[in-house]
Order: sequence, then C-alpha cells, then structure tokens
Amino acid sequence: MMDTQLLIAGVIFGLSIGSIFFLMAIGLSLCFGLMRIISLDQLLYYSIGAYITYSVSLATGSMWLGVLCGLAMGGITSFAVERLVFRRIYERDITFSMITSFGILIGGVGVIKFFWGLVPRPVPIPIDAQVGIFGTDIPVYRLVVIVIALLVYAGIWLFLNRTIIGKAIRAGIENVEHVEGLGINVSRLFTITFIIAGTLSGLAGGLHAPLIMVDPQMGLEVLAFVFMVVIIGGLGSIKGTLVSAFLVGQVVSLGSLVYAPLAQMAPFAIMLLILLVKPTGLYGSTLVKR
Amino acid sequence: MNILRWWGGILVAFALLAVMRIFLPLPFVNEVMIFSIYTMGCNFLLGRVGFISFGQPAYLAAGAYATAFYLFYFGTNPYIGLLVGIAGGALVSLVVGPLFVRLRSDYFALVNLALAVIIFYLMQKVLAGITQGDNGLWFLTNIASTPVLDLSKPNEFFIFVFIVALAVWAFYKYLDDTIYGACCLGTKVNEDKVRFLGYSNFKIRLTAFVIANTTTALAGALYAIYLGFVSPEISSPSRAADPVVVTILGGVGTLYGPIVGAVAYTGMKDLISNLIGNWELFIGLLLVIIMLAGEKGIWGTLEPRLKKLVFRGRGAPTVNEGKARVG
Repeated sequence: MMDTQLLIAGVIFGLSIGSIFFLMAIGLSLCFGLMRIISLDQLLYYSIGAYITYSVSLATGSMWLGVLCGLAMGGITSFAVERLVFRRIYERDITFSMITSFGILIGGVGVIKFFWGLVPRPVPIPIDAQVGIFGTDIPVYRLVVIVIALLVYAGIWLFLNRTIIGKAIRAGIENVEHVEGLGINVSRLFTITFIIAGTLSGLAGGLHAPLIMVDPQMGLEVLAFVFMVVIIGGLGSIKGTLVSAFLVGQVVSLGSLVYAPLAQMAPFAIMLLILLVKPTGLYGSTLVKR
Repeated sequence: MNILRWWGGILVAFALLAVMRIFLPLPFVNEVMIFSIYTMGCNFLLGRVGFISFGQPAYLAAGAYATAFYLFYFGTNPYIGLLVGIAGGALVSLVVGPLFVRLRSDYFALVNLALAVIIFYLMQKVLAGITQGDNGLWFLTNIASTPVLDLSKPNEFFIFVFIVALAVWAFYKYLDDTIYGACCLGTKVNEDKVRFLGYSNFKIRLTAFVIANTTTALAGALYAIYLGFVSPEISSPSRAADPVVVTILGGVGTLYGPIVGAVAYTGMKDLISNLIGNWELFIGLLLVIIMLAGEKGIWGTLEPRLKKLVFRGRGAPTVNEGKARVG
C-alpha cells in the first residue's frame, strides 16, 4: 500500500495541477459553447501570461503583480486577436477556426521566441511556507492555486447565473439566433466571452509559471492535457470542465506515484473509455454546428 | 485520348519534379517527395471526408518505428522494412479507427492530437528500453544493398520514392473516380443522404481513415529508411500541424495541392530558417492569412488561372476535375 504522506502530497499536487487545467480549459469550453469555435490560441495566452509574469516579477520582485500583468496582457492580446481575426470567421465551419487558431498559436510562439529567446526561464515561488496537513508538509502556494481556481469557478458561476450579460451568454449557448432576436448585441457578447477566456488562460499561465520552467513550447506541452480535460468534460459545459480537470489532475498525479510514465498515458486511456460510453464527454450535450 | 487527359496533369507535375532533381539538391527533393506522400493522406481526410486531424504524426511515427524496429533488431532488407512499416500503420489505424471515426469532427481532431502526444511519450519514456528514448534508433549501417533499386543510396532512393509518390497519387486519383470516392464526399457534405442511399457512414469513414493513415505510415517508413534514424521527435506535438498546414497551403481537396504545398513549405522552411531562423512566426502568419483569404491555398488560386492560360486557344475548358470536386 502506498505511503499516506505520499498519497496526501499526491492528491494536493493533483488538485493544484487540475486547477491550472481548469483555468485553461474553461476558455476553450466557453468559446465552443457560445461561438462554436475551437480556440487553440488560448494556449498562446497561457504562454504570454507566464512570460509576462516572469518579466514583471524579475523587474519588480513581486510575482503577484506579475500575475496581474500577465492576465491583463492575456486579455488585451485576446481582444486584439478577436477583433482582427475571429470576427471574420465566426460564420465559418468549426475546423476553419481550429486551423486559424493553430496558425495564431504557432505565430505567437514565434513572437515569444523573438522577444525572450529559447532558454527556459525560472520564476521564483512567491510563498515559500509549508503547512502541515495530517503530518504532511504541503507548499502553501499550491493550496493558494487551488483556492484561486475555486474562486474563479464561483465567480464564473455567479457571472453566468446572476448578471444580465451572463444570462445572455447562457441563452446564447442554447440558441444564439433567439438572443439576437431579443435585441442583444451578440457580437459584443462574443467579444466579452473571448476576453474572459483569454484572461483566464493568462491567469493560468501566470500561476503555473513558478511551478514549472517558462519556455516557448510550454503551451504545446499542456495542449494535450487541456484537450483531454475538455473532451472528458464535454465541450461547452463549465461544470463538466471543473470535474474533468480535477479528475485528470488526480490521474496525472497519482498515476505518476504508481508508475512514472503512467502520468501521460492514463488520462488518455480514461478519455478513450469515456468517449466509448458517451461520445460527447461527461456533461457534453449533443450540440451540433448550427 | 481520355487516358491521356487522365494522366496529363500529373505527368506534367511529376516531370517538373524530375526536372527539379537536376537543379535542386537531392536531399531537398527527397524531402519534398516524402512530405507530399505524407500530406496526401491528410489531404484525403480533410478534403474528401471532412476530417481534420492534428494527429498525423502519430501514424507517421507508427510507420517509422515499425520500420525502425525491423531494421534495427531483425532484418536488413529495406523493402521488407517498408512493408512492415505499412503494416504497422494499418494496424494502429485499424485499432483506433473504429473508436475515432464515430466522433464529431471537432472531437476527432482533439483526440488525434492526444494520440500523437501519447505515442510521443510512449516512444520517449515508456518503451525507452526498446526505442532508446531520445537518442533514437540508428540503423543506417544495417540497411543492406538491394538489387535493382538500392535504397541505401540517396540517388536511387529518389527514383524509388518518385515511383511510390506517383503510385500513391494515381491511387488517390483512381479513388476519386470510383463510387467509393463519391461516397466519401457524400459523408462530408450530407451524411443523412448517404444513409438514405443505403451506405454506412461508419464503414466509409473507417475505410477512408485506414487508407489515409496507411499512406501516412508509408511516408513514415520512407523517412526511416531515408534518414536511417528514428527518434521520438518524429511524433512531436509541435510538428502536429505540419501536414495540415501543407494541405491548406497547397489547397484543400485538390489533387496537386499536396505536391505544390510540399514544395512551397519545404522551400520556405529552408529559406526562412536560413535567413532569420524564426520561421514559426512566418508560417503561423501565412496560415492565418491563407485562411482569411478564403482557404483556397496556392494551388486552389493558381488552378483556374492556369486553366485559362492553357485552354485559351481551345475554347472553354472541358476537364472540370478538381474545381468541381473541391468541397
């Protein structure tokens, strides 16, 4: 049987990595739900968030300020991209948006390489303290990451259920023509959703930066995991994204305790299993391209 | 006359490739040839069946590693290695195919990319004992000389790859003219109507999936023999978009697209990485621009103009191939 201390550390590790996955996957999921696009460029905003965090924390010494700047930069970049590119392709087929956003992602990686070079950069952890849980030392920073992700989930939930714009977004996920018929400016709704998605991806990048090295390919490295989270949860479902993010996080973390290479393989096996039973993911509806 | 017309365009295209052989360095031409075979599979999936796959490196790696295993551990004959590679690719796509083709096209793309990542880790870490991890398998010296066409010589390898590419192209062209090809296009455009006509969408898609990915595996096997070396880098997720980019660069669903795209892409890659070394930025921008300009690609834009040029003296064009089929 596994060591209890190791197990607790593993579970916390899994929750924190799941939080990062959740923050990134929610953008993909929202964009798909409302606009019916697959926005691979979310991974670019994640890298941008991480790099801005690195630069700002290097300059000012405050990592939290860096995260703030990172998420702001993620939002600004996503706004620019939405205006320049996505605005023109909402009407097109879903594969179209996928290819275009992949182009943006590769192009963005090129820009990052131009500014910051190829060398991986370390970001210092802002909170060094450890806290004992059942006799196991857990880094406080990981707990903070988990709390932030849960706060974001609560915030998104409140936003979607308690505000007019959020309700309009939810209605748009059901039927965008009806929303338009009610006189709501749908194209502004799209812009808002896209900026929220980009900002959250930037936040994920900033929070993830101290836990890993920041390098130009970092977006492509988490790409597969974020995909798996979105697929398992079902495209377009916020709750499904949260559940599957923590599920994948646990599988990655506990899997690597049992047998190291399992960390990468196990989520894939689970994804195949779930797709076999339910081809639209856990909470995915049978939404098709309208 | 009909047969001549059927072959006309491709004979010109391949004659141009043969001419390229004289003016351009051999490694470049070889890479273009293999790349165009690689892209033909993706082009078929995207243009005919409407499946976009970001996971082509998975099948490329399946073919390459099957060949590498044979040449490294068992035998020396590159031709048998090639067959083993094709069989490996067909096997992998037969195993995952029934699962994957049931999915909607958006899920399909994501699942395929995930598969590429998994194969990457499988080769890099899990099977490191057999694949030697990141060091890769080196077996250039294991490849024995063969009579007729000696694949261990780049010069004769070119002739072989040339013949293979021509054969693959002719096969896809033949496929286009059969009822099966029409069915593929049917499932892309309107799957309900295909079902009403009594065809099974699942079977059509599975066959197309296996055919396309076996082609990809063939390209992988050719890479393995040509380079004499295989490493996990071949299925690296950062190269996952390459075939899709080339397909779109050349023009989706056009028959000459893969060849035009492969020439343009490999050429640009060499030129730009020599000039500024940061070619991702460029290729990303190019992809976005092509998509915004109407996703016709280089060949899709050139084709009508070329036709006009060729048929100017002879009235309206009679051969409407390509244009009518572009989905």
